[in-house]
Amino acid sequence: MLTPFQILAADGSVTQPDLLPPLDQVESIYRKMVRLRHFDDRLMVLYKQSKMGTYPQFGGQEASQLGATLALSQGDYLAPMYRNTGAALAFGWSPKQAILYWRGHPAGWKIPDELNMLPIIIDIASQFPHAAGAATALKLRGLPQVVLSFIGEGGTSQGDFHVGVNWASAMRAPAVFVIENNGYAISVPRALQSGADYLFKRAEGYGIPGHLVDGNDVFAVHHIAKEAVERARRGEGPSLIEHLTYRLRPHTTGDDPKAYRSDAETQEWAEHRDPLLRVRLLLTAQGHWDDQHEAELRKEAEEEFNAALAEADATPAPDPHALLEYAMASPTPALRAQGKILEQRIRLLEAQA
Amino acid sequence: MTQTVQPAAKAAPASQKTMTLAAALTDAMDLALARDPNVILYGEDVGVMGGVFRITTGLQAKYGKERVFDSPLTESGIVGSAVGMAALGFRPVVELQFGGFLYPGFDQMASHVSRYRYRSRGRWSTPLVIRFPYGGGVNLLEQHHDSPEAYLAHTPGIKVVIPSSPKDAKGLLLASIEDPDPVVFFENIKLYRSVKEEVPQGYYTVPLGQGRRVHEGKDVTVIAWGAMVQTCLQAAVAAEEAGIGVDLIDPRTLVPLDLELILESVAKTGRVVIVHEAVRTAGFGAEISALIAEHAIYHLEAPVLRVTHPDTMHSPFNAINHYSRPEPAYVADAIRQVLEA
Repeated sequence: MLTPFQILAADGSVTQPDLLPPLDQVESIYRKMVRLRHFDDRLMVLYKQSKMGTYPQFGGQEASQLGATLALSQGDYLAPMYRNTGAALAFGWSPKQAILYWRGHPAGWKIPDELNMLPIIIDIASQFPHAAGAATALKLRGLPQVVLSFIGEGGTSQGDFHVGVNWASAMRAPAVFVIENNGYAISVPRALQSGADYLFKRAEGYGIPGHLVDGNDVFAVHHIAKEAVERARRGEGPSLIEHLTYRLRPHTTGDDPKAYRSDAETQEWAEHRDPLLRVRLLLTAQGHWDDQHEAELRKEAEEEFNAALAEADATPAPDPHALLEYAMASPTPALRAQGKILEQRIRLLEAQA
Repeated sequence: MTQTVQPAAKAAPASQKTMTLAAALTDAMDLALARDPNVILYGEDVGVMGGVFRITTGLQAKYGKERVFDSPLTESGIVGSAVGMAALGFRPVVELQFGGFLYPGFDQMASHVSRYRYRSRGRWSTPLVIRFPYGGGVNLLEQHHDSPEAYLAHTPGIKVVIPSSPKDAKGLLLASIEDPDPVVFFENIKLYRSVKEEVPQGYYTVPLGQGRRVHEGKDVTVIAWGAMVQTCLQAAVAAEEAGIGVDLIDPRTLVPLDLELILESVAKTGRVVIVHEAVRTAGFGAEISALIAEHAIYHLEAPVLRVTHPDTMHSPFNAINHYSRPEPAYVADAIRQVLEA
């Protein structure tokens, strides 16, 4: 068993004091983590109220997604997959947009011009070649930006995992690839994905640095991601980082994890290895935090979410014309003809109503 | 076998040059690289060697390794990376070594190249060109003869371009590189060096979505693309000698499709033969046939006939492949059938 890189242990003790940021920064990061957790759980509540589409929860992976994304600078690129709502929010995607996105509202799918976020990828591993290509583009242009992309441990079994990492390695492109190893690809345990003991070791085969990190330690995640980002920015090529983490929540709003993992296992992670808990323990031990602070923060998170939700709710229902928009730069004759069919359907349903 | 595609081609003015389809494509990429610094070329063996069919010969030497380069051997990577490259402002023109090798890259085409603009509601787009050699009639290995246009035409968000002549190839490739949508560009292996014609010098485009009447006639409409245009032209010339007028239509691009030209021809002839070297079932001929049924069925004097490859893989049985791949005789026979119907 290898020891993953760690700064803050699960019990709130600091294993590498030199690397711990100042307390005000610790607090600021903690505040962000609590907001992410709140967002994630509220979407599940909304789903149960039939006010949300299918949503893949990231709860339990806040440290992994926030810590890595905060290593980026203004103008850098994020190439997310479906479980990366946490990373996207940390990157600057607004909660209102994220709510609309997961509701399947076209306004949520519009990626803001000022945000260098590539689209969220639903199928497994395809974002890695995109990230590799974007990073190659940055290199060819001589630009200083880097691309950060995430994948699950299940995604490492796909061809495109190899394709993307290998491409970036061959091109020495400025990319950082993070494997969020949360133990399960929906129900299939990590051990069934590969006979290898650790996935980060593949880095050696690609001739790039590989790191094993305690993915529930936000400071460790951030420290290593920063190192990889800076390396990429210096033109030294990509890195591969494995975060050991755990999805405390279901795969998606439609999933019941009881079918494939024990309550005891989830409870153990929730009670002892929750990525938020250890930061709170540290802040409390330092006399920097108490129950009242916690209650105020949770209230703040709730109010912020409610405001975003109100805005999302106030967004007009999507116009059916959105269905044909953006398919082509300008509609082909066939699409124009199909536009007439759409108009007819709109009229038919209006007449029916 | 060297042929002139357009029978009426006159002696070349100074601004034209006799070129093979292969040379016309090289010329187009040369001009595109010179014109737009965002154009980059990459793929397997395209750099130093100039590609297995030598279509990118000399371009790396001329434009440097940053604009024309060899990539790792991965179709998924070539297409997938082009998504990221295009999103960040490049105009990648990537080569897959053979159409039959597109399938590892097909996931990236169907799932991402075609959807990036739609998915991001216009924030990112993927103006890129994926070129590959395709088609039979040459003695190559298995998976080197495929004609996979229907898969791509069935994929929303992608344009599908299939030139049949050097002049069209150059103008269509330049139009494809300029186009804001992703384009899949089919280069017929048999046509690379078997057809020559006068090709205008310098930069010009042939608009995507405009078909070409290759041979004019009033009795039968024959619709074909790629190498099948040559096959059908032979049948058309033979038919003419027998007093039968064939209106040979090359759509040049399947997406967008010049339906107007097809319908105009069908209104005139009332008899249609569609020819493709792709397999029959759900081939693009079925789409054209359905469109004719929707828009022009009352003009028809006979059932629409298709001359295609059977529903079998494009085989490595080179000595007998001409029974699978349409020959002029099969087209001539179909013309006879629609006339007798």
